[in-house]
Amino acid sequence: MRSNVWLIAKREYLEQVRGKAFRLTTILIPAIFVCIFGVGYLASKNSGNGKHIVIAAADAGLASNVKSQLLSDPDSHTGIEVVAPAGENDRADLIRRVTAKQIDGFLWVDSTRGSDTPHGAYYSLSSGDFVTTARLQGAVSRSVVQQRLAARGIAPAEIESITKSITIDTQKLDKNGKASSSNAMGTFWAAYAMAFLLSFTVVLYGMNVGRSVIQEKTSRIFEVMLASVKPGDMLAGKLVGVGAVGITQLGIWFAAAGIFIGTPLAGRLMAGGFDLHLISVTEGVLFVLYFLLGYVLYSALFAGLASTVSTEQELQQYSPIAAVPIWLSFGMITYIVSNPNSKWSVAMSLFPPCAPITMFLRMASQFPPFWQIGASIGLMVLAILATLWFAARIYSVGILMYGKRATLPEMMRWLRYS
Amino acid sequence: MAVVELDRISKSYENKVAVKDLSLRIEPGMMFGLLGPNGAGKTSSIRMMIGITRPDSGGVNLFGKPFARESLARVGYLPEERGLYKKMKVIDQLVFMGELHGLEPKTAESRARVWSEKLQIAEALDKKTEELSKGMQQKIQFIATMLHEPELIIMDEPFSGLDPVNATLLQDVLLEQKKGGKAILFSTHRMDQVEKLCDSICLVNHGEAVLAGTMREVKSRYERNRVVIEFEGDDSFLRHDAVAEVRNYAGHAEIKLKDGGDSQALLHAAAGAARINRFELMEPSLEEIFIQTVGGKSDA
Repeated sequence: MRSNVWLIAKREYLEQVRGKAFRLTTILIPAIFVCIFGVGYLASKNSGNGKHIVIAAADAGLASNVKSQLLSDPDSHTGIEVVAPAGENDRADLIRRVTAKQIDGFLWVDSTRGSDTPHGAYYSLSSGDFVTTARLQGAVSRSVVQQRLAARGIAPAEIESITKSITIDTQKLDKNGKASSSNAMGTFWAAYAMAFLLSFTVVLYGMNVGRSVIQEKTSRIFEVMLASVKPGDMLAGKLVGVGAVGITQLGIWFAAAGIFIGTPLAGRLMAGGFDLHLISVTEGVLFVLYFLLGYVLYSALFAGLASTVSTEQELQQYSPIAAVPIWLSFGMITYIVSNPNSKWSVAMSLFPPCAPITMFLRMASQFPPFWQIGASIGLMVLAILATLWFAARIYSVGILMYGKRATLPEMMRWLRYS
Repeated sequence: MAVVELDRISKSYENKVAVKDLSLRIEPGMMFGLLGPNGAGKTSSIRMMIGITRPDSGGVNLFGKPFARESLARVGYLPEERGLYKKMKVIDQLVFMGELHGLEPKTAESRARVWSEKLQIAEALDKKTEELSKGMQQKIQFIATMLHEPELIIMDEPFSGLDPVNATLLQDVLLEQKKGGKAILFSTHRMDQVEKLCDSICLVNHGEAVLAGTMREVKSRYERNRVVIEFEGDDSFLRHDAVAEVRNYAGHAEIKLKDGGDSQALLHAAAGAARINRFELMEPSLEEIFIQTVGGKSDA
């Protein structure tokens, strides 16, 4: 009977890997993934495109300068019209054109309001278009500076070189002080993608174990099995089998990604910022490790809970248990990436339900001290042992109970039965 | 050596007593009936017998030793709540079950093929479970229970859902196993189904044994006070002094005698009045004995 865990794991693995759902998710999940990230990336890059806006100012020179500043931005594809010199009547007319949706908005530059700094206001039907607002602000500022410099008699060529935008390059230092050029935005996206993939797969496979328990419960297979297998062995076999399915699927994805990176198409696409080369071997190994730990933690929990219910719908009611730590981790994503060593970031990455995602976010920003990674893995192992203890006891009673969903006090009593 | 020996086992859940002080003994080559209405504690007793649950008190011995999981390799259990993996091919499923009981995959497969011929279901082996009828699935489950050649065969409601032809087929197989020295435990609330099969029985109600012993012993404790008569002609003899109750179906009468009522006197009276085709003094059925024993106390 020593090999029952192995037999059950093998059966579970083969059934799932041969199933239609496996083939479907193997293809669909990366597709969804590419869509989410692709759409997000393109949307942030192209926001404000195809808009028709009007620049209105009393000062015609300033207005046309703002227009040429805006048109010089290679990412912008905005239709720009200039109304200058503009008076109050023009303003009323522009407001009417916005409300009639003939134009998307207009920038009103008021340079006569007492001070020597012009005041600008952007009028549109939507107040949340901060990308356009930021572009306008930059364009007006540069135009005003150029005007002032010109007023002080500085030659146009010099003005051009004085007001030229600068770029900031990020250099990541390692412990020995050796700098390497890094792409801050790319690091963020890589971390975000890995954390997203991690949370997604952990929950996907955790729920998968839960569903498989419920299917066995509805098919009434448990009691047949219990004549030769211990409940603990059944649970262990299931966790190993479904976990192996997850590793297989991740393996397929990584292999496909590896092949894709080698193609010229990928080179072109990733020139825009997202770069899979930013993931090191250590991070890859830790990714698999955190996947396994997170998976065992959540799937043991779901297996225990699934044994107390009879339908998948009832199991869905427990899904917030997994969702809350994940929301919490993602809610703190910008904070953690920019403050990877703050108390909160460290605490979150040690707290077992959040550890896989948050530790990964920290890692992508700055590699945490090894003792912290060790501590977080140690705490996760403890949490897993506690969950397994609890789940195995609930499971061994729950699988033989049919009918209504068990309440918490009932589950507590079950702990004593076994 | 007894194959199963339960010594005053008890089990309670919350405030409900599932089994109370139950003792029984099953020998090799014996067909044993664990009988009683639904919810009487039959399944709870079986679960304790094979270690799925532990008794609160009392002892379980299997094959002459206190219960140990190793003994389960010699036990075949067909539970009442039984199922198969729906998406799995039948033959793969049988091999898997055989392997769980310690068989080599090849042995399991060849035995599965022999059994499926015997139960006339060989064509199902390459199908998925979900393509099979309920009766066919039941036969597959039966095979899964027998693959590792268990010395103790436990069947909880084995014939439920089977048509008479297939029920007889399985009964014959079990009788053959019994001849081969295997111990068989039936658990059922359909007492009529196992009455003619069992050597020994234990009747349970509300978790307690209310009647136990060999079928002969149990029945001999009850009077033969029922008579079936098939006749042609005058039925006035049905009003004889010895008769307590009568159900007369045009030529077929079922009679219950009064306590101490003389069946021979009734036969004389009947023969004097009508032409008698059949006169049989019946022993009480298990069901009648059960009802007589527990009276109106049973929930079923």
